[in-house]
Amino acid sequence: MSDHNPEVSNQTAEQVLKCLPALQDEATLAGISDLLDKLAPILQGRRLHNIVDLLAATSDVMEMTDDAMLQKVMGLYEDSISGVWMLTNALRYASAQAAAEAEPPTLWQSIRKFNKDEDARRGLDVVTNILAELGRQAAIKGQKMPED
Amino acid sequence: MIKTIIVVGGGIGGTMTANNLVSKLYPEISRGEVRIILISNSPWHYYKPAFMYVAFGAFYKEELRRHQASLLRPEIDFVLDQVDDFEFKKSRLKMRSGDIYEYDYLVVSTGCIPSPERIEGLQEAGDHFYQHAPARKLFEKISTIEKGRIFIGVTFPKTPNVPHQCGIAPMETTLMLDEFLRRRGVRDQIEIVYTYPTISQLVRNCLFLQRPTGEVLPSVFESKGIKHKRGFTLASVDPERKVAISEEGEEENFDILMQTPPIRAVDAVLNSGISHAPNNEGWLPTDRYSLQLEGFENVFVMGDTVDLPISKAGGSCHNQSPVICNNIAGLMRWGKTVAEYDGKVQAIAQMGMEAGMPLWYDYDVDVIPTPPTKIGGLMRKSFNRGVYWSVARGLV
Repeated sequence: MSDHNPEVSNQTAEQVLKCLPALQDEATLAGISDLLDKLAPILQGRRLHNIVDLLAATSDVMEMTDDAMLQKVMGLYEDSISGVWMLTNALRYASAQAAAEAEPPTLWQSIRKFNKDEDARRGLDVVTNILAELGRQAAIKGQKMPED
Repeated sequence: MIKTIIVVGGGIGGTMTANNLVSKLYPEISRGEVRIILISNSPWHYYKPAFMYVAFGAFYKEELRRHQASLLRPEIDFVLDQVDDFEFKKSRLKMRSGDIYEYDYLVVSTGCIPSPERIEGLQEAGDHFYQHAPARKLFEKISTIEKGRIFIGVTFPKTPNVPHQCGIAPMETTLMLDEFLRRRGVRDQIEIVYTYPTISQLVRNCLFLQRPTGEVLPSVFESKGIKHKRGFTLASVDPERKVAISEEGEEENFDILMQTPPIRAVDAVLNSGISHAPNNEGWLPTDRYSLQLEGFENVFVMGDTVDLPISKAGGSCHNQSPVICNNIAGLMRWGKTVAEYDGKVQAIAQMGMEAGMPLWYDYDVDVIPTPPTKIGGLMRKSFNRGVYWSVARGLV
């Protein structure tokens, strides 16, 4: 902002620093001194350069982010979160139900449950479909591809 | 005996609170001592703030809604029905279906209803963006207007010190409109006039309901060539002449009238007879700290339904929900409420189509306006496109 101010732009950096009210405060100067102590080694070793480069790269990413990119990234976020949430919910709820039974059902009782419970059958169908899809993708990966 | 907690309302407040209650009371729920029911009259959950973007062609309906049941933890029983009668004295609800639900604790989060029909002529000649269909209609108008005058106004409830829906929205949409029309290349031929009523909560003759923000608005509007006018309280609209008439006795012509409409509580809340609010607005008398319905220890109110001086927006629900969950847990476990709401609300204001401004305030401290930034805009868009659904699930 200062380059638009003619009063400031005619001053040297030293004069500007001397005029800054914040730098007339002892606590500010003590804070800057502490910071310089911390910064000195990474400045001397040219490691602070990496941090500045990182900030520049982060800023570049923000400049490049448009609506389409943001929607894709947030779509990935939402898909991941909702998937994990659904699975952890199912696991917690199913475990609590199983733990609530004094004795686990016999194999025959489990089979009868599948037969009677539409949701359980649908859940089994989901698992079957997942296995089928994994198989389809494995088959694609295993296909021999012709050379170009 | 099993305790029943019923949450009424499938908006952001009710959804996050039902999920948060499961987290808070999981030990009791897993022992079968507590059950939680969420009642909503819609199978869909809508991200209502996105209606504002629909008005600018930036959101499809399919992107701003989810199946209500898909946002609820499996421990919650979802009931698709409508409450017809809140019988607070009997701790029970009468439903549209004829069913009756008895409860031990109740959370009322039924939102509010835009009611343009409460101002003569507004329904016919005015537009708004607080529901999907009106927002689509507004988009058709602002995406085709070539020249003329867009007149923007805000209607406050008649209940003293109660705000309209989403306090920052009129300002947000004014700045978005300016940028939208510039992108279309027609801004030079269209006059935008932003107005504010004489009485806006505790301030008078201002441009915003909080003075610090109201004081920076003139310079913001002037930099964009947006005209602004204080003291215009819409009384009626003449659809034939396309004129807005104010309580202060002025007339203003318009080609598009973008008016934040009057609002009211839902019918069942209105008919409960509990509200003291004037003008049949129906806001429930709510303890500003415990969020209990006055006179009913086992009933809590949140979101748009309260009569508090706090924004009717999701950012309020986000801070009220943990207080209500803690207080229900406190009543069940220790016999008393333990948490107090400090009036905190936070949001990221959309300042134009790209920039954003994070903001927060509470009962004691107003919003301190800061310069809108691109990173603020990215934060808002990220919230719109993903984080919101985590908030609804009670994860954030």
